[in-house]
Amino acid sequence: MNISRYGEEGIRIVFGEEIDFDIHEKVRRYYFFLKSLQLKEITDIIPSFRSCLVIFDRKRTSFDTLTASLREKEFFISHVNIPEPKTCDVPVEYGGESGFDIAFVASHTGLSEDEIVEIHTSIIYTVFAVGFMPGFPYLGILDQRLYVPRLETPRVKVPKGSVGLAQLQTGIYPFDSPAGWRIIGRTSKKLFDYNKEPYSIFQIGDKVRFKSV
Amino acid sequence: MIEIVHPGIMSLVINGGRHGHREVGVPSSPALDSYALNTVNRLTGNEDHAPAIEVFGEKFSLRFSADVCCAITGARVRARLENRPLCSWMSFEARSGELLTVDEVMEGFRYYVGFSGTPVLEKVIESYSTNLECRFGGYRGRALQKGDRIDFENIRMVDVRRIQEEFIPGMNQPHTLRVLKGPEIDYFTADSLDGFMGDKTRMVFTVSTKANRTGIRLEGNPLIFRKGADESIISEGLLPGTIQVPADGLPIIQLHERTIGGYARPAVIAKVDHDLLAHLKPGDSVTFKMIGLEEAESLYDRKMEIAALIKNGHRRQQCGNL
Repeated sequence: MNISRYGEEGIRIVFGEEIDFDIHEKVRRYYFFLKSLQLKEITDIIPSFRSCLVIFDRKRTSFDTLTASLREKEFFISHVNIPEPKTCDVPVEYGGESGFDIAFVASHTGLSEDEIVEIHTSIIYTVFAVGFMPGFPYLGILDQRLYVPRLETPRVKVPKGSVGLAQLQTGIYPFDSPAGWRIIGRTSKKLFDYNKEPYSIFQIGDKVRFKSV
Repeated sequence: MIEIVHPGIMSLVINGGRHGHREVGVPSSPALDSYALNTVNRLTGNEDHAPAIEVFGEKFSLRFSADVCCAITGARVRARLENRPLCSWMSFEARSGELLTVDEVMEGFRYYVGFSGTPVLEKVIESYSTNLECRFGGYRGRALQKGDRIDFENIRMVDVRRIQEEFIPGMNQPHTLRVLKGPEIDYFTADSLDGFMGDKTRMVFTVSTKANRTGIRLEGNPLIFRKGADESIISEGLLPGTIQVPADGLPIIQLHERTIGGYARPAVIAKVDHDLLAHLKPGDSVTFKMIGLEEAESLYDRKMEIAALIKNGHRRQQCGNL
């Protein structure tokens, strides 16, 4: 675990250098540990693949005070209640107008469209992070055979529900959004409801199973 | 009540932001110039982070259908209430039926229009701010349009006054933005970092036309990645004001709408200069200057101390709901 400062109000707590399940588990555990402390001086926590970003309120504490206090409480990490991951089925209409990049993915990988769907639906994915936009799940780890690069120039807009691939990740756009990932399908599932807590259907650690419809 | 007669190029309802939910990707979407927001609220007797209208572009115009105190802060504008001239950083009393029009933006980019009352709008995820991309918060989740009406409750009259010149920040270009080291500063060659934010001759960047409320793209001499450095990172939590550099080497200043990013981050804009980001307009010249953390902290603390000297508008009489 490596703690460093980022800007005036950020603490980067880094647990490793790659996308990996052990590192993810450490991030997740630390995130729930931080939440369990319910510290007023922490305004936001952003857990992701290999780090937790803690955003703190400089009116209430300082970097040194807060990091020292977190180190003191670390013994408590192994006693924190970690919620059981939820598993969520996501129905997807693959290819066609909904998955307008599937032909590119086929030509880039040498797979048929059916094989792409079969491989994509055969893994239970883990939510490594939620963000960039509200409710977007970064899912992994994708089967190597589906590895595709990001678009060099992102699209200005893809429709809500679009399911995309980039490198060894897959994800779902909860809203119409600019996007650099390759779109292979679309879901009608609502991923984010701003009228109802906890707003996002996913949190870090949850599992996702895609179903072809 | 107010009715939008002309929305300018774009106007939207914002407040101090939406906090505490970045763990599921909810960005803070606050007013880009928080000093201007706080001050417009002081002038109109509201809490510092209360909602107001953020506008850019000329011709913004609205009609009052109640007597209310109003103020404009942020960019320096030439405006009028009917035919009486007004300017930014002062409050004024508006009577029902009168028309407020902004004729010219003289310095800066975004301006803030505030009212001595509480808009009748629903908070979404604890905030009045508009998330334009996801279409929630603010006024029906969107930018304001001609004909939109916003009701106010708890309207009271406050003493009109003007903010002294010494409390009004400069917003003219060229802008010098002070920055701190970012997490991936080592991804770039020492020479290119020196040219970007060093002590001697600093590169001048130009604000691209591709600047919006999410990020400000800059044009100029690209930063050079060190040999062997990755051109992207494993996506990770982002702070507002972070400078991200994609493979083309041209910096993007990330504002408040993204919680996670995947590009290398050579620098972060010091908080003391975040408000200035609201006033970078396409074509403006920008340079960066690296400072240390302690200096950044004391500059920001000093700025907050000065802001605290601006007093709240006084209540004079209660007018009730209109």
